[in-house]
Amino acid sequence: MSTTTLDTPRDSQTTGRRDIVKPRRKGVVSGGVLTTVTWILALVFFAPVAWMVMTSFKQENVAASNPPAFFFEPTLDQYKAVISSDAGPYFLNSLIATGVSTLLVILLAIPASYALSIRPVKKTSDVLFFFISTKMLPIVAVIMPIYVISGQLRALDSIWTLVILYTAMNLPIAVWMMRSFFQEVPGEVLEAASMDGAGLIKTLRSVLIPMVTPGIAATALICVIFAWNEFFFALNLTAAKAATVPVFLMSQMTSEGLFLAQLSAASVLASLPVVLAGWLAQKQLVRGLSMGAVK
Amino acid sequence: MATEAAGRTRSRGRKQPPGAPPPQRPAGSGRETAAPEPSDRRAKSQGKWATWLILPSLILLACVIVYPVISAIALSLQKDQGLDPATGMFVAGGFAGLGNYIGWLMQQCPAIGGGTVSCAPGTLGAQFWSATYNTFFFTVITVAIETVMGFWMAMIMARTFRGRGLVRAAVLVPWAIPTAVTAKLWFFIFAYEGIANSLFNANILWTGSEGPARTAVIIADVWKTTPFMALLILAGLQLIPNDVYEAAKMDGATAWQRFTQITLPLVKPALMVAILFRVLDALRMFDLPYILTGGANGTTTLSILVVDQIRQGFNAAAALSTITFIIIFIVAFIFVRFLGANVVQNTNIVDTKEKS
Repeated sequence: MSTTTLDTPRDSQTTGRRDIVKPRRKGVVSGGVLTTVTWILALVFFAPVAWMVMTSFKQENVAASNPPAFFFEPTLDQYKAVISSDAGPYFLNSLIATGVSTLLVILLAIPASYALSIRPVKKTSDVLFFFISTKMLPIVAVIMPIYVISGQLRALDSIWTLVILYTAMNLPIAVWMMRSFFQEVPGEVLEAASMDGAGLIKTLRSVLIPMVTPGIAATALICVIFAWNEFFFALNLTAAKAATVPVFLMSQMTSEGLFLAQLSAASVLASLPVVLAGWLAQKQLVRGLSMGAVK
Repeated sequence: MATEAAGRTRSRGRKQPPGAPPPQRPAGSGRETAAPEPSDRRAKSQGKWATWLILPSLILLACVIVYPVISAIALSLQKDQGLDPATGMFVAGGFAGLGNYIGWLMQQCPAIGGGTVSCAPGTLGAQFWSATYNTFFFTVITVAIETVMGFWMAMIMARTFRGRGLVRAAVLVPWAIPTAVTAKLWFFIFAYEGIANSLFNANILWTGSEGPARTAVIIADVWKTTPFMALLILAGLQLIPNDVYEAAKMDGATAWQRFTQITLPLVKPALMVAILFRVLDALRMFDLPYILTGGANGTTTLSILVVDQIRQGFNAAAALSTITFIIIFIVAFIFVRFLGANVVQNTNIVDTKEKS
């Protein structure tokens, strides 16, 4: 975990201390206080999640108690109930939409980001700006025509419509992120490859892609997070057949309170894949996103 | 604007001469300057390749994003077909010109016997300016809180301490979990018999009136996004070389001076980009208020209004979504033009810094 930080530990230690601790001589003492404050802060931020996870291991009658019980007999009943309920198809839909769209994004973004990073294209920054400008677009601005068009193509309530939309949605971010990874490949490597007579495809396949594999993996994980969490398209373009996990959670809204524990279990299951992905991609996430591709 | 850029890109793809001059700001310029002669020639021959490599992505975006934007504009210029709810008369549709736009901006609805009157309170048509106000209200408040808190958290996280990795991971969880889950979670926390009330020993109907409902949305959004903002700012902080602080300290700069003279200016590019994207994101806020409050009690954003309008008339909804797009574009333009959030250039600055 601690290896997934951007800087060398010593660097940040010295900078950080001087930034934050005002009285220099009391550095050690304030350091301890600050660490405690940091931990409390992290706990406060984590508390709602902890509450959700805790509730998911309760029986419904325990979960409904107010104030919430902290000591209880944990049970897996709620998870069993979710797994055996009708949630399966929703998870399958989310899995297809997320998996296939991420694969497509990576396949499209590798050549595009490579071209934008290493081989200069005429007006590279224009193309880059076009990519990022699509992120300024509110999704509501395209939902109407997309609804009408998919209706005409009889593609409403189809998981493949979501796959295409999620691919387009994540492509700009992926190109931006992967470009930054490609740019870090030293020029000499490319020189050497071309000296050895390697063509474009061969250079990409045997030289570049292995070098940027961690970057590609991180990009893929980001795309997984965004696609898995996407709610707007899924809500408006799907009904019974192709609805995804967020829509399923939303539809459970009416049973508020009654099945709180079961809903918590469903929420935990819905969050687990993306939290795992975010955790794995943490290091590259911060770097890639600070390149200008936020959310 | 996106459409314009696409048009330019496509035409470039078609008629690009083989011996195109090198770009103004080539990617990875450091490499080219090292050996100008041979790579210049290669760059020319590779320019053609590059176009083909980018083309599939551009085509996809043109089909899925640019075309719908154009067709939304086309839709927005048509009258909504169907029975007029006010008159019960059939409206044939047809060209509306800017009628839909004027309807939204002036909050005018079609009247009995033709012409327009002010929309009745409570109808969607009467909510445009309040939705715009809500959207900007949420944007300004949440982004301001998230920036200040995020900065503070980033400064704390920049230190080394026991379990830093764990704290970072824990803090990232709110961002990673689906917004639908976030909204749901806070829905239960803000329920009448929920934790928020029992924690503060209060009896507030959180989603029942304007102030608490907005507060609930703001708290949920800040909770979800602040950690992420902190991580972005942290990335910017870590690009500042240590010896700058060292030198300032030698010259007797106080901690506050070091913060205002070194940290703030040097982290500004990264900060501006982070704020820009957060603002654009907040202006399209939908999921959180939609699930948390259902858009009731002063939490209807423009995006929610569009979705509500879709059920009542496609073309008016298309006009509203186009207006939303224009608003967001203007905000982005102001940011990039006047506040120095240069997206493309900033990337290059960050790149060179990371390499050195």
